[in-house]
Amino acid sequence: MLEDIVKSYLIDNKGKDPALFDNPDLLVSELKLDSLDMVEMLFEIEDRCGFQLPDPMRYAQMHFSAMLADIEQAIREHNNGELPAFDLQATSH
Amino acid sequence: MGAISPLGADRRQSFAAALAGRCAIGRAAPDIAQWLPQVLTAPAAAEPSSLLDPRCAGLDRATQFALVAANEALCDAGIAAHPDDARRIGVYVGIGFGGAQTVDALYARLQQTLRDNGNPAVMHPLSVPRMMANAAAAAVSMQYGLHGPSYTYSVACASSAVAIGEAFRAIRDGYLDAAVVIGAEAMLTPGAMLAWNALRVMAKPDADDVSRSCRPFAKGRSGFVLGEGAAAIVLESETRARSRAQAALGEVCGYGCSSDASHLTAPSSEEQVTAMRQALAQAGLEPGDIQYLNAHGTATEAGDVVETASIRAAFGAAAERLAVSSTKSMHGHLIGASGILEFVLSVMAMNAGALPPTATLDEPDPRCDLDFVPRTARHDCEVSAIMSNSFAFGGSNVSLVARRHD
Repeated sequence: MLEDIVKSYLIDNKGKDPALFDNPDLLVSELKLDSLDMVEMLFEIEDRCGFQLPDPMRYAQMHFSAMLADIEQAIREHNNGELPAFDLQATSH
Repeated sequence: MGAISPLGADRRQSFAAALAGRCAIGRAAPDIAQWLPQVLTAPAAAEPSSLLDPRCAGLDRATQFALVAANEALCDAGIAAHPDDARRIGVYVGIGFGGAQTVDALYARLQQTLRDNGNPAVMHPLSVPRMMANAAAAAVSMQYGLHGPSYTYSVACASSAVAIGEAFRAIRDGYLDAAVVIGAEAMLTPGAMLAWNALRVMAKPDADDVSRSCRPFAKGRSGFVLGEGAAAIVLESETRARSRAQAALGEVCGYGCSSDASHLTAPSSEEQVTAMRQALAQAGLEPGDIQYLNAHGTATEAGDVVETASIRAAFGAAAERLAVSSTKSMHGHLIGASGILEFVLSVMAMNAGALPPTATLDEPDPRCDLDFVPRTARHDCEVSAIMSNSFAFGGSNVSLVARRHD
């Protein structure tokens, strides 16, 4: 679900080619997101989980899959190890 | 020229509705009416986001209005994005309360988050770029690739009139060859309306017809109605317009500005007169050369009486032959966008030879004794030059003059 939220956002709002995400070794840097794009993307998660993800620019050096894993870990740390079910639709902008 | 206003989704619709005397005023939306059941508003005739690319959905509403009006004006002027002389084209914007919708939403979200015991630190990262006063100027300059200066004037009700005047000066003095000038305002939000209501300047609902509640220059007037929207014009040097065989809709030829330096909200006749005389002098026109004046005409007790006296003082005997109207009777007060919307309507009136009325003027205040074009439009008029007044809270007075460009 986390992956779906991020991918949907990047495809629908930032015009990224869906085929990019077929590559299991996709790098975040290959998405060509500037710093504003990056914090906008993370807000899609933050808005649903209710806390700010720390130091967003470190994700630029990661694989896309590693970034998702890192975000999931941060969410679990805030939820006693659980990963809450998120709506695909953001609550508010 | 372009406009999205309470009277229409573009400038032609807006002007046609003004000539028809249609009042676009009604009761406020439920999120406002729950706190202010008597308050009235003049919402735009169309949702701006519906007229823009979906990528503009996240912009502040005022920026969306600005883009809609600018798109129409630039299309009207035959100027596409990324023109060859982009460094010689500026963007001049007037807005009174930039980002009002974003600010209101931000505090509503904060309140809700605190009620839910949530974390208030989670806020949309574009909140600041959305609410900054120059958001509209930035959006238009980026969308069209215009590299001249992009300035934002925030002078309350005179904001976009100042923007026109300053762009006119920049072109006249050779700093630019053209400018897109825009006025935008979008603050029909609960927070903004509560603040305006506290000033006690808002019109009370008319018992018979709510849409006719704003009554400039009328006996028993009770104040203004806030509206929203935007208007835009493309100003261009005569040389540039001629080089591309572009027909002009009119010529901006006079800009007068002054400050009362006396009271936050009470107007001063002396400085209004100064602004009007400056504009006439710069245009090289005599008072009798102006046939139509779009008044600031807010329907406040003091404002309309003082403006009437100011027009009489500035125009002298010619005031007897001058047609004056307040189109705020129909589209409400768009604050930062008022000056340019009224200027656009005035230029269209000049070209059409048809004057929009003070639509709700059934019974004039005896102290307001000019020809206010009461109730219905006047057609078949010979109009060679117009004046548009914008007098702001804070004491800033602006008068603009335009004439036919044949």
